[in-house]
Amino acid sequence: MRCARCLLQLQCLRLVGQTARSAAQNGALLHSASSSQPNMLHNTQHQVLRRFHGSPVCAKMPPIPAEFIDEDGKKRDKSLVTRDDLFEQVAKDIKTKATFNKVVDVFIKQDVRRRGHVEFIYAALQKMPEFGVEKDLAIYNKLLDVFPKEVFVPRNFIQRMFNHYPRQQECGVQVLEQMENYGITPNMETKVLLVQIFGLKGHPVRKLQRLMYWFPKFKHTNPFPIPKELSEDPVDLARFSLTRITNDRDAKVTVYQLPCTDITESGEEITLPHVVGIQSPSQMELLAKHNPSRPVFVEGPFPLWLRKKCVYYYVLRADPTPPDEKVEEPYDPERCFYYSLQLDLDLDRDFGDEQSFNVEDLDEGPVFAMCMTGRGEQAVLNQWISGLQLNNPILGQVATLFRIDDGPKELLGAADTESDHHHRTDPDTRTEDRQHEGEAEVTVDEEPSRSQGIKQ
Amino acid sequence: MSLPKMARLPSVRLLSSIQQQLLPSIAPLTEPRRAASRYEYRRPGEPKKDKYPFQPVNFSFSKGLEGIKKHFALLKKEVTDRWVGPEGKPLLEHMLEQNQVLWEFRGPESLKQWTVSSDHEIGGQSEAHLKLGRNNDTCFLYGTLSSTPPRDGETRYSGYCTMRSQQPLRSFDRKKHFDWSNFNTLHLRVRGDGRPWMINLATETYFSHQGDDMYNYFLYTRGGPYWQEVKIPFSKFFLTSRGRIQDSQHCVWLDKVNTIGFTLGDKADGPLPAGDRFHWRQQRLRSH
Repeated sequence: MRCARCLLQLQCLRLVGQTARSAAQNGALLHSASSSQPNMLHNTQHQVLRRFHGSPVCAKMPPIPAEFIDEDGKKRDKSLVTRDDLFEQVAKDIKTKATFNKVVDVFIKQDVRRRGHVEFIYAALQKMPEFGVEKDLAIYNKLLDVFPKEVFVPRNFIQRMFNHYPRQQECGVQVLEQMENYGITPNMETKVLLVQIFGLKGHPVRKLQRLMYWFPKFKHTNPFPIPKELSEDPVDLARFSLTRITNDRDAKVTVYQLPCTDITESGEEITLPHVVGIQSPSQMELLAKHNPSRPVFVEGPFPLWLRKKCVYYYVLRADPTPPDEKVEEPYDPERCFYYSLQLDLDLDRDFGDEQSFNVEDLDEGPVFAMCMTGRGEQAVLNQWISGLQLNNPILGQVATLFRIDDGPKELLGAADTESDHHHRTDPDTRTEDRQHEGEAEVTVDEEPSRSQGIKQ
Repeated sequence: MSLPKMARLPSVRLLSSIQQQLLPSIAPLTEPRRAASRYEYRRPGEPKKDKYPFQPVNFSFSKGLEGIKKHFALLKKEVTDRWVGPEGKPLLEHMLEQNQVLWEFRGPESLKQWTVSSDHEIGGQSEAHLKLGRNNDTCFLYGTLSSTPPRDGETRYSGYCTMRSQQPLRSFDRKKHFDWSNFNTLHLRVRGDGRPWMINLATETYFSHQGDDMYNYFLYTRGGPYWQEVKIPFSKFFLTSRGRIQDSQHCVWLDKVNTIGFTLGDKADGPLPAGDRFHWRQQRLRSH
């Protein structure tokens, strides 16, 4: 009997040694191996497998692969954080996907019984962002593969009724939750693994089913989608973000300056930042109608978030037109012959939708153009304005004021906050304050000089 | 053609908006910060404060008098409103109305209908404040978002900012619910900075253990200087409890809506000048 047991143990060793292979294969192997055994042997093998968790004989020390024992011959201490140590030992400085895989492999090979796999998986989940593998589905599958197969599957209805192996199930759910947080959809392999490990009705499998139900539903909810990998090129990024915020298909993106590095005669290096602007036809129309006696403002930088990246843009805008200057434009009945542009029904009902809201013509003042640049200096933005002047000759007659904050780091809608402070301190002198503010931080760009510059 | 919207606003707000037009510079633009949450953060393991429950209660006489005045005025209004029609509106208007402006930001009064909170109350480091925008007709939510969880050994995730409307109350602090069963769409006018938000509808529940149930949907902002009009049908909302989507979903009890909230928690740490919203209304879809 002892002989047979030894043999079976050996067989088990061989079987478990193969776990590095893919899960499906593994399962098949296990099945075929066990089914090929004679009946009695089959039973004993199960007994041996069940000794997986808590055999007093093998509980001493996990064998450490020779290559990872310190030169001094010190054994690992028995502290609670040994699993973290494994990561530190194996992946000393290079933290990549390859080393992460290696750590998992080392752990799998270390001990046939996978002693302490729950702690190891928790430690691995924590270390994932460090190694830069937190968005890698293969790695998650590999982590799930660390669980011993078919041990935690409930065997009878009582086990199924109660929480079978709760710590292990929690750990499995935690792996799935981290996948959920990083927005990774599980695949078939994940499902096969989980079913093998926890059985069809375990909590992790339930969690997986929930993920698979909701993720596809929410996949395309964003009406303004952002690609997963944002472009590294600043011009491309600027083009993408400007078209996103404009909300007008006809808007034209113009690259006023490409980023480049020049070396002057004196040997200094000059980096020219990129200047990318956008303007839609309706914005041009608005600008053409702008009263030349009122100044236009270049404001910014304002933040725009694209997933976790923050970019900054500048706007060219004006103060809202005072009500006495507003001109009501009558509808030209000949503009459209197919349907009337104006309905004058006097029904005793509320028809609901207001059609009067125009996105361009805000009560906060119209926006005429937007731009993004690498360096938010007045000189750079001036280039944008002079570029705009080619298409909008009215900019030659209008005074342009620059209300720019120092650097993208310190901006937070500063125009608003600042005027607010003034109000809080001295609300009565608001208008005067505004004027002072304007004089203090705003440089009036003298119109003739710029047009001269363009002529030259 | 359209019923006058202003008439549906409470008279206080009407007055304040008129006042704004006359004297635009007098109204202060920032609302003083109100207490963000009911409970302060207690680190696990810290002893509870040794206070009797009645100690924080303010027993002043003047407050009592004010309360009596307020509640009896509300009671009188409730009684007389019945004679006019449902919800104090004539029946015809009630039946024919296609949209109803529920919250709009006109003057500092309107900020009092909102509670702003952040993960500060679970020990996080985010901050959020609410103030009126430049022209006094928008509101502006700003602050910082930081997803560093507190080092208390329990909290795993952190990093949110929330703005929630206050529960409407009848006289003597009885709960009142919004009845939106005549409408099917939530209509917001928003300007964001590109971050996704979440809209939370909290409804009255039958059992007390459902107290954390909320109906959520996403609010995606485009970013940029333009305002967005967002229409979200109530049928889109899904049931969650404590941040977990529930397996058995139900539709919103539209006649028992308590509060609406907006949450930001997109894990992108950084300042939040999310020139968020402003003025929204809900409306019924037209059938054609």
